[in-house]
Amino acid sequence: MLSGTADPKRFEKEAPTIPVFTEASLELSDCVFLQALCEIEAEPMCAMLPPALHPTLPPVASWSAFEAADSDWGRFRLAQLRIECRSGLRPRGLLVGAVVDSAQAAKALAERFGFRCIVGEVELARAYDSTHLRVARGGRCLVELVLREPVRLGDSDTQFVSSLHAAHTPRGFRLVQVDTEYAVKRAERGRLEIVAFDAAAWGEETIRPTFALPGVVGRVDLSIRPIRFVCRPDILAFQGTESVLPEDGTR
Amino acid sequence: MKFGIFHELATPRPFTAENESKVLFNALEQVRLADELGFDTVWAVEHHFLEGYSHSSAPELFLTACAMQTKQIRVGHGAVVCVREMNHPIRVAERAATLDLLSGGRLEFGTARSSTWTELGGFEADPDRTKQDWDEFVRAIPGMWTQERFSWKGSCFSMPERAVLPKPMQKPHPPMWVTVTSPGTELDAAERGLGCLGVATASLSEQERRTKEYHRRIQLCEPAGQVVNDQVATLNFMHCHEDLATGAKRGMGFLGLFGALNAQLLFTREAYPTTAYQSLGGISAPAASKGGGNPGAAYGVPDGVCIGDPKTIIEAIKRWESVGVDQLNFLVNACEVLPQEQVLESMRLFAREVMPAFARGKTRREPVLQSGAALGAGGRA
Repeated sequence: MLSGTADPKRFEKEAPTIPVFTEASLELSDCVFLQALCEIEAEPMCAMLPPALHPTLPPVASWSAFEAADSDWGRFRLAQLRIECRSGLRPRGLLVGAVVDSAQAAKALAERFGFRCIVGEVELARAYDSTHLRVARGGRCLVELVLREPVRLGDSDTQFVSSLHAAHTPRGFRLVQVDTEYAVKRAERGRLEIVAFDAAAWGEETIRPTFALPGVVGRVDLSIRPIRFVCRPDILAFQGTESVLPEDGTR
Repeated sequence: MKFGIFHELATPRPFTAENESKVLFNALEQVRLADELGFDTVWAVEHHFLEGYSHSSAPELFLTACAMQTKQIRVGHGAVVCVREMNHPIRVAERAATLDLLSGGRLEFGTARSSTWTELGGFEADPDRTKQDWDEFVRAIPGMWTQERFSWKGSCFSMPERAVLPKPMQKPHPPMWVTVTSPGTELDAAERGLGCLGVATASLSEQERRTKEYHRRIQLCEPAGQVVNDQVATLNFMHCHEDLATGAKRGMGFLGLFGALNAQLLFTREAYPTTAYQSLGGISAPAASKGGGNPGAAYGVPDGVCIGDPKTIIEAIKRWESVGVDQLNFLVNACEVLPQEQVLESMRLFAREVMPAFARGKTRREPVLQSGAALGAGGRA
């Protein structure tokens, strides 16, 4: 069975620090969201993942973005890039990087959930027949995507997969499982067009898109749940997963 | 209760000719033994691109080899992928009829639509259309087998009047099945008079619910073919040893590996947002839904799995029997993680100690005569 071969130390560099595991969810209501997947070149698929994780067959990267109309830090937008993978038997996405257009939100998301964030520009624009996502920093475009020819989906027709964020935690350097619940209010599938993608700017230059899959746009209520599990990056998740739930089972 | 062995041809890395051959020839040896021991059916799946998990991309060839080396055991094409980009229905009908002739009328004909993006994407098939394609295949193929000349005008394919040859040996035609992964497909099977070939490991309670509804609905079916197959089969794992702990340890070894390989596949729902695939699917989906989201959760021998000593396995099979299952099909190894001699010995012990505890066989329902129009004669509107 294929497993990751990347040196876990590689993920420590620039990993955020979670000083304490938060016990509160982050609720973000009525967000515009976008999710798009793309098959990527298979040759480096194991080298992109730490030994805890397994690649999917075929390997896939995903971009997702949301615009929160309101939060403790005001309105903000977040875009992220993940490599889809398996942790044990479970589908997960390893966060490569995130861009947030609010410095306050970026700091809070890094400290509470281990988002490896940089502050940049995130534009998420919906039109009648297409949705555009453009992520940039200092004039350098990180990704530009368009979803065209929208087709209405049911509220439960989209699969959302929990994330793994490399972060320094009270348990040490770990992959932190971040579970986000999506209450979908409206969803449309669109044909994905990748206008521009700068893999190196996200921090993983070996991601090379090969086959675009359809994406989804819509409106959701998001709930990023308190962290329940962390995992050592250097051994298989079957052996290296630790619960950080309080012993009384609350949360 | 009937018993079958089920071959995915899971293959260890590296994918050398030596490893591929070893898997194929070990599987053939298991089939010959199963035939001698009185197993009812050998099934082989059709999968493509599923690295390690299943290298059974040409099951009609493997099953032909099985047929030529055995006398009694039925050969289960389980299942042909009925998606236009992957198989043409005429070629499916021709190959299946030839296999039925070569096996002396021992073909069981399974149909499916594929549940992974790994496969559908590889053929650039449209997930939105796979159920429509499958439906058209299962309605057209019986006509190709039973009518001297056949024509069809449909949305998936069309053909002018031609003699599709050869015709199968079994009359009116071989029993037809549909693989059931997603909840609800058992109802598609029932409505068309097709056997229910479970290929995902449903729980006992889930299987009971599905079987009850299947048997209720099939009474009202409009058969796609000329014969109703009202059997329910389900997939299981089997390793039998005199010592319970040894049987469990060995069995869980290959079950765990098989589940992990399955989990690496990219299921359609995960990759391609669509209304057409309502569940994640896959062998490991039930396991992945347990443990409260903990990837490190440990699993013992799952409920109803036929791993352990003969007594434990008899108890498990009786529970499947009690929920209306007619046939259990067993995976007996994966990636040759168990030495071949252990697999063969397990099969021998199963035949000696477990099989006698069950009444064998079941009479199929009599053929249901259909009008020519129902089978597509003269074309379909």
